[in-house]
Amino acid sequence: MLKELSFALYSIKKNIQNSAELRTSFLTNIIGMFINNIAFITLWIFFVKSVGIIGGWTAVDIICLQGFIALCFGFVFSAGYGIIKLADYTSSGAFDRFMLSPKNLLIRTATSAFNVSALGDIVFGIVCMCIYIFLIHASIYQILLILFFTMISISVFLSIAIIIYSISFFFIDANSVASSFFELFFTPAMFHGGAFQGVMRFIFTFIIPSLLIGTLPVEAIKDVSLEKLLLISILAVFWFIFSIIIFNQAVKKYESSNFMTFGN
Amino acid sequence: MSSNSITVSNLTKKFSFSQKNPSSGWLKNLFSPETKEIIAVDDISFSVKNGERIAFIGPNGAGKSTTIKMLTGILFPTSGKIDILGFDPTKDRKKLAYQIGTVFGQRSQLLPNLPLTDSLEFFGVMYDMPEKEIKKRIAELIKLFDLGSFINQPVRKLSLGQRMRAEVASSLIHKPKIILLDEPTIGLDVVAKKSLRDLLLKINNEENTTIFLTSHDVGDIESLCERTIVINHGIIIKDLPTQNLAKTFIYEKYIDLIALNNFNNFPKLPEGINYSSKDKNKITVIIDINKITVQKSLKKLLDLFEVEDIDVYNADLETVIRHIYEKAL
Repeated sequence: MLKELSFALYSIKKNIQNSAELRTSFLTNIIGMFINNIAFITLWIFFVKSVGIIGGWTAVDIICLQGFIALCFGFVFSAGYGIIKLADYTSSGAFDRFMLSPKNLLIRTATSAFNVSALGDIVFGIVCMCIYIFLIHASIYQILLILFFTMISISVFLSIAIIIYSISFFFIDANSVASSFFELFFTPAMFHGGAFQGVMRFIFTFIIPSLLIGTLPVEAIKDVSLEKLLLISILAVFWFIFSIIIFNQAVKKYESSNFMTFGN
Repeated sequence: MSSNSITVSNLTKKFSFSQKNPSSGWLKNLFSPETKEIIAVDDISFSVKNGERIAFIGPNGAGKSTTIKMLTGILFPTSGKIDILGFDPTKDRKKLAYQIGTVFGQRSQLLPNLPLTDSLEFFGVMYDMPEKEIKKRIAELIKLFDLGSFINQPVRKLSLGQRMRAEVASSLIHKPKIILLDEPTIGLDVVAKKSLRDLLLKINNEENTTIFLTSHDVGDIESLCERTIVINHGIIIKDLPTQNLAKTFIYEKYIDLIALNNFNNFPKLPEGINYSSKDKNKITVIIDINKITVQKSLKKLLDLFEVEDIDVYNADLETVIRHIYEKAL
């Protein structure tokens, strides 16, 4: 497993170098995404300031929520962008080259592509978290919780991306369907956490796990809640195992094709 | 250890897809389409010895790529058994990958924006080679494939011929025992084709690498492969030494007649003999040896024409292969 992870890191490094060769596009993408995120969070903060506290959520919590979302999105769409490209890979037959690799198929696929603009999300996420830590005068325990939940959130985000994009193995041109499912998962995750109560909270925690990547971690940090920490961790492990099972089963449906392709 | 690098027994691959029924409405076709099944590879068996050079040929849609994809573990067979170097590709895909190299002519696996050295290094790391060994092997491949002049150029700036050499070199970084090539010379000019064929022969001679190649290019088959397997409609229709290919399938002979003076008349020819080309200096006829012997043909032709010279020869390999395909269609 260490060899697999070491190769995954090497592959990500090569992907970054490959993208960085096109310098102008590389820097423009990162800065563009960072500015885009600032505009987005500014809107939310103005919204919270206007309507006041909803469900115990303040503007500071929104900063933390957007930090988690940006870090999840940034890490998965940069280092694991291969998963998001699965529909393209399977319809063009480009997935063949991963089947020919001596490495773990899922890790090799995930680290096969890199979306530069997602680096802008990572920078934005780190900035948000630093601001949040400063504003709440976070204790060491809370800082450790932030680090822990960042990893958990990325893991859940990646697991759901794997499950959704694995439908690409079942039918051709799955890109738009997969994107729609992904939006269904991702859009509620970016919403004001206080808006999810009762049935909605249940649905978006246990059926569509959108709240696991932002809302619930923010609440767990704020409340320093061991109960929520345990629940999020158990659900994260469940989704991770489930995603690997789904991917391994879906790969058996791969039928390849003979389009011209280019890439690593 | 077995002397065979590949053994395939009763291999079958079926694909199913939904098909539009023209007599049904579009709504019925949308929600309950008819499913059609095609047999891409139909119960084929063959084996390949270590170090052999095999051409696996057939017209488009014959089942060549499907077979190669099953051999490499990309596709799961519907039924049958594959043994490559003692591995079953369906179960030991990762272990097998360390032992084989693959080149798909219409596909690149190189890093487009980085120099070629980076791609070679990337594959070396992927195959768990130590850093020293990677450097040594890259130096060997640069020399063997004459990559020196463009090794530091970004891959996207390479010509197609250079890129194909680079693709083959990268697939050999881990010294595979077998290299499987699917249309490796597609789109290459004659010089690049010859260069690639020479390189493949070289690695076969120097490293005893088994070569399994699909191609539509007769030159690849003629100059590279000692044995040819012909497949069509998923069935192997012939498996024989390449040099016997023309002999086995030959039921036509060509005769060139060179005019003593000029040919002025082109009379109707006896049954079994047809004009292939005719002008005042030279006539070429095709004889069907199932209908008339060469001896009888020559007698009849000499009665009809005054000739200075005669040349009798077999059809070239391209014509033979075309006949095989046409007959099998």
